[in-house]
Amino acid sequence: MRLLIIDDNPRLATLLAERLATRGFACDIAPGLEAAEQALGSASYDLLVLDLGLPDGDGLEWLKTYRARDLHAPVLVLTARGALGDRVAGLDAGADDYMSKPFETDELAARLRALMRRPGSRDSPVLKVGPLEFDVAGRRGRFGGQSLELTRREADLLELLLRRVGAVTSRAMIEERLYSFDETFTPNAVEAVVSRLRRKIEEAGGTGVLHTVRGVGYLLREPL
Amino acid sequence: MTRRGSIAWTLILGFVLTGLAAAALLLFVVAFDFDHVFDSHYRQKGLTGLAYEIGDHVIVPLVVLLVPMITAVPWVIRRALAPLTLAARRINAANHPDRGIRVDLAGLPKEAVVFVTAVNDLLGRLDEAAVRQEAFAADVAHELKTPLAILGMTLDRDDGPLADEIRAELGAMNRLVDQLLLLAQLDADSVSHAPREAVPLADVALEVCSRLAPLALAAGKDLALEILDRPVVAGRREAVAAALRNLVENAQRFVPEGQAVVILVGPGPQLRVRDEGPGLTREQLDVLQRRHERADRASAGGAGLGMAIVSRIMEAHGGALETDPKLRELRLVFKGPMSAHRVPNSRSPASPSPGTM
Repeated sequence: MRLLIIDDNPRLATLLAERLATRGFACDIAPGLEAAEQALGSASYDLLVLDLGLPDGDGLEWLKTYRARDLHAPVLVLTARGALGDRVAGLDAGADDYMSKPFETDELAARLRALMRRPGSRDSPVLKVGPLEFDVAGRRGRFGGQSLELTRREADLLELLLRRVGAVTSRAMIEERLYSFDETFTPNAVEAVVSRLRRKIEEAGGTGVLHTVRGVGYLLREPL
Repeated sequence: MTRRGSIAWTLILGFVLTGLAAAALLLFVVAFDFDHVFDSHYRQKGLTGLAYEIGDHVIVPLVVLLVPMITAVPWVIRRALAPLTLAARRINAANHPDRGIRVDLAGLPKEAVVFVTAVNDLLGRLDEAAVRQEAFAADVAHELKTPLAILGMTLDRDDGPLADEIRAELGAMNRLVDQLLLLAQLDADSVSHAPREAVPLADVALEVCSRLAPLALAAGKDLALEILDRPVVAGRREAVAAALRNLVENAQRFVPEGQAVVILVGPGPQLRVRDEGPGLTREQLDVLQRRHERADRASAGGAGLGMAIVSRIMEAHGGALETDPKLRELRLVFKGPMSAHRVPNSRSPASPSPGTM
């Protein structure tokens, strides 16, 4: 995965590139917006990491023009401005995710991988989290090499949870994805699909993978 | 009221002395005039005639004039000075914690306006100083974040026990910087009187719960949400979320592994965080809330500022942070015009129940 880091602090940028390289990202560094433009003109990137405090312009403003130009690589905004409303401003400007400094490298890498799993940009045909895999085109799930026999709804649910691994997916969002607008369903329908999927994963040896967050939704955690 | 240094008392004394001196002078003039001008006419009547004349034409009119004057003057003076008391009352009333407060000049006399204007100028200068100080605090916090990030990543290269220790300290320092930044931001908001928005508490709770649940699970603890009500309050959504996040993070530190922290929304305009910990008494909460007001704020440590910040956020929303040691709950209780309103559920399934799963 090729990644462009746009950050004016050389120390932070090189450290970040070095740390992410050990996690499978090939990073280029642009110390400003002008350099970023040059890099984007000469190569194609899967992901962008953008720091907002840049010497040659406002990162958020640049992000808006970047989005207006139909460039689709996901952007993760990195900033010191973590408090209150700034996060919202970043997401409004077209950032796909947002992390405030300082951050854990592991969490950043996890978020970047999650961005890559989003449908759209450059979709990988197989979603993989540890021993859990899902073939997007074939709608087939596997755990530790063992095939999981999934119904259509269970497959849709597994895809959704895999694309959002590490984050809680709300019950409302699952309802929206699993059922069309005019379909009627009982309030515990989602619960039933989740428990069937969980049982199948557990039977294949994956315990403690699919969690329930009571009152909120469900969460797929990378098996340890 | 002390008489020394009182303007009213000086005025009364001045008037009385002036009155007495004028009366004495009048008596003297009358007696002198009588001798020289009406000499022949009154000599026939003798001294009693003179006394009679003075009594009749000087003393009586003077008494008639002086009595109402002496009784009226203090009243007139108090009345004239009353606006000063009013000005003082207004200045006293302006001790609200929010900034941007000025004493109202309407209805004050010219003499009081001078002082009240001076007080207003002083308030303005204090505001400016506070704004500068907040901007400075925010700048410092921002500037600290990049080196902290660099430090964290540098530590990532090392897996020794020393690195772990430093990482823990770094984590505490990060939290402290975040909290200082949040405090500075809250102060800046109260100065600028940032517009309030409708904040649906259930949505905020859902967002906070989703955000913190992965971390809770990683630490072997549970986080759950129960929506009993869907109140909407007026305020700043991000600030309310920060307050709830602080309470949940705090509860997670104390709850034993395998146990759950539960966020409850409602009934009424409140967010509740319940854990299996020992609970906080009113007095313990008071101490925690006042932490940042104490001089030793630097020694309060990363976690110590949390409750103080929560209580500041609630104050800014006209609400309060309350504790129920029996239920082991901390509550964010809001008061506001929007509390009574309800938002419709965004997308409900076939069942009308929006409650818990």
